[in-house]
Amino acid sequence: MRTTRRSLLRLMGAGAAAATVRHDAAPVFAQAGGPVKIGVLTIRAGIAAPVGAAGLRSTEWWLERVNKAGGILGRPVQLIVEEESNPKDTVERYRKLILQDKVEAVLGGISTGVTLALGPVADDLGTPWLSWDGTTQKGVEETMPNPKWAFKSVDNEVEAIVAGMLTAKYFKGVKTVAGIGNDYSYGHDCWESYQAVLKKYTPDVKFVLELFPKLGVTDFTSHIVAIQQSKADLLMCSFWSGDATIIMKQAAAVGLFKTMKGVFTTAGGVHDSLKKEFTPEGLLLGYNTMYFDDPKGSPLLKQFVREYKAKYNEYPPYECDHAYFCAESYKAAVEKAARSGRQWPEKAQVVKALEGIEADSLSGRRSWREDHIQMCNFYQGVTTHKNPYDFVTIDPIEVVSTKVAMKPAGSRLFDWINSWKI
Amino acid sequence: MSGRLVLAAALGAAVLAPLVAPTYQALLMLPFMAYAVALLGLNLLFGYTGLVSFGHALFLGIGAYTGAFLTSVFKVRSMEVILVAAAALGALVAAPVGALCVRYVKIYFGMLTLAFGMVFYTFVLKFYRLTGGDEGMPFLRPALLGRSLEGLSKIDYLVGPYYYYSLAVLVLATLVMWRIVRSPFGLCLKTIRDNPTKAETLGIGVARYRWYAFVISAVYAAVGGALLGPPTGNVDPTLAYWTQSGNIVFMTLLGGFASFFGPVLGAFVFIYLQDWVMSIVPFWRLIFGAILAVIVIFAPGGLAGLLTPRPAAAPRP
Repeated sequence: MRTTRRSLLRLMGAGAAAATVRHDAAPVFAQAGGPVKIGVLTIRAGIAAPVGAAGLRSTEWWLERVNKAGGILGRPVQLIVEEESNPKDTVERYRKLILQDKVEAVLGGISTGVTLALGPVADDLGTPWLSWDGTTQKGVEETMPNPKWAFKSVDNEVEAIVAGMLTAKYFKGVKTVAGIGNDYSYGHDCWESYQAVLKKYTPDVKFVLELFPKLGVTDFTSHIVAIQQSKADLLMCSFWSGDATIIMKQAAAVGLFKTMKGVFTTAGGVHDSLKKEFTPEGLLLGYNTMYFDDPKGSPLLKQFVREYKAKYNEYPPYECDHAYFCAESYKAAVEKAARSGRQWPEKAQVVKALEGIEADSLSGRRSWREDHIQMCNFYQGVTTHKNPYDFVTIDPIEVVSTKVAMKPAGSRLFDWINSWKI
Repeated sequence: MSGRLVLAAALGAAVLAPLVAPTYQALLMLPFMAYAVALLGLNLLFGYTGLVSFGHALFLGIGAYTGAFLTSVFKVRSMEVILVAAAALGALVAAPVGALCVRYVKIYFGMLTLAFGMVFYTFVLKFYRLTGGDEGMPFLRPALLGRSLEGLSKIDYLVGPYYYYSLAVLVLATLVMWRIVRSPFGLCLKTIRDNPTKAETLGIGVARYRWYAFVISAVYAAVGGALLGPPTGNVDPTLAYWTQSGNIVFMTLLGGFASFFGPVLGAFVFIYLQDWVMSIVPFWRLIFGAILAVIVIFAPGGLAGLLTPRPAAAPRP
């Protein structure tokens, strides 16, 4: 194995951590040979780099805690980090982690454009892969209904489905809706899913405008003019990166939300940039699967938020929890698989243990469904200024489970939505 | 003579790599061989004709998407059919694009090729229903020489039959290009590169010859693109993005466009250097940018230029 400065430091850290803990915990497993090497794939450049950074930070936080507590079955854990970029290069990094670095599992994968390519490669290489945020969906339909080694994130469109349900609850009487999303599969899929759900709850609603600017655009003046001219009652926006903040700012400058309701399905990903000075109260805002300020949050969440803020001077976004759960569920699966024997479990045994396992995440208990899709809760709510921060939070907080808002295994999205009895 | 020895040693090493090198290192040879084919073509245009294309990812993309369409939509799994179809489509698209582009030279030619490249990129990104948009299309495992090889695991397939298949395509492409650049046609291209006015007065149809070079280079890039698909198993618009065009120009500069094998060497060094640097530093792009700057400033002949002994200076009178 090639030793880099980074991996050497991590190994030293892991070794030091292991040296400080009890060694009587699992002597047999500790003898299994060196640290448990786990590969991490994360985005480090471009628009999604902050998302990748959040996932990596929480994985490192998990690593520190686990190693302090004695590692996994007495073996310290070592992370080997590689970059997620385009599908071709990421597939190569993935193969490097398994074939050259000999990792026990790979965590990470954010963009579905990349993870669609990773899914078959993971199944071919026979090492567990636990995706943070990427799926193997083509549009809104699953391409790998029966994966062997790939464990995938929640379906991309779930937050739009939840937003559709909550639009019907909070914004009764809405007759016309305009939509704006990024011009790639996520933006289009969210818009279609949102329309299908809202139509189910409010059959006479009309969708009067749809706009799909390129991801990364920074000037929405013309889009905002078009939205104003549409005279829609409500704007649905599925932006998830800095463009959510930018459109909010530019919309506030012309008072867009004085005459229109707003639904931001995913802007909670950049929540602490949504400053009170330009983000009005009364919008529906989605935080994906972790809400940092949940008053009912676990001590684990509160500790994580506190330490994250102290270290990075930011409040953590949802990607942290996807990443934390992937790492924690892998640990739980190894421990579960090891119960039946005195050997370090084979990779296939770990995969078997992962199926249906439930483990702690920052936002509460999560699990892997039988088709290897993550099951968790989604957090959305109405924006408020009543908080100690300089940005908006939500109150009330709506918690919607994927058991309710994600299509069941083996079903097709629009058939499933059409089958709802409301 | 020493050049032939080096070449024979390199070929021998390439043949032995899957048997002696770690699997992952052997796998990295696959994109190298695919890019090497494309670069042989690009350098016919760049090194031999004097035209720098910033849009050749267009043809890489055409080759890759041809394979994806044939395998996943039309259920054609023969790699030979894929390569021929990629070459034909590459030529078909290059014919009108080249006819427009070769009317210009220098930065105007570069910008036009970039524009056409981005038109194709936008097409594959926007025609979501047809091309899969940003999610791309699967490139299913192709059959080689009529053998489906489904019994092999993907890795065994890639470092076994597919590796040698790619190597054979690269060798064949190299031999053909060697003949091209050493033919009277190749001599005409060099004349056009060095002095187009003189070439014109000698009776060489400058625009026509440039167009020929453009179409041939596009065919090579499309074949390279088709070879890039199976290792990833999925093709996506980033293969046709301008950064991809930039990468192949970088590989050519890195290896040296003045040498026949320079771009091939550039592809090899680029792939393995990127693999190494990416694992060490997150900001590897910065390092690559610095390398490019150093090459342009201090070693305009690229790595091949550094390795080739300079001819002795002519004695002063």
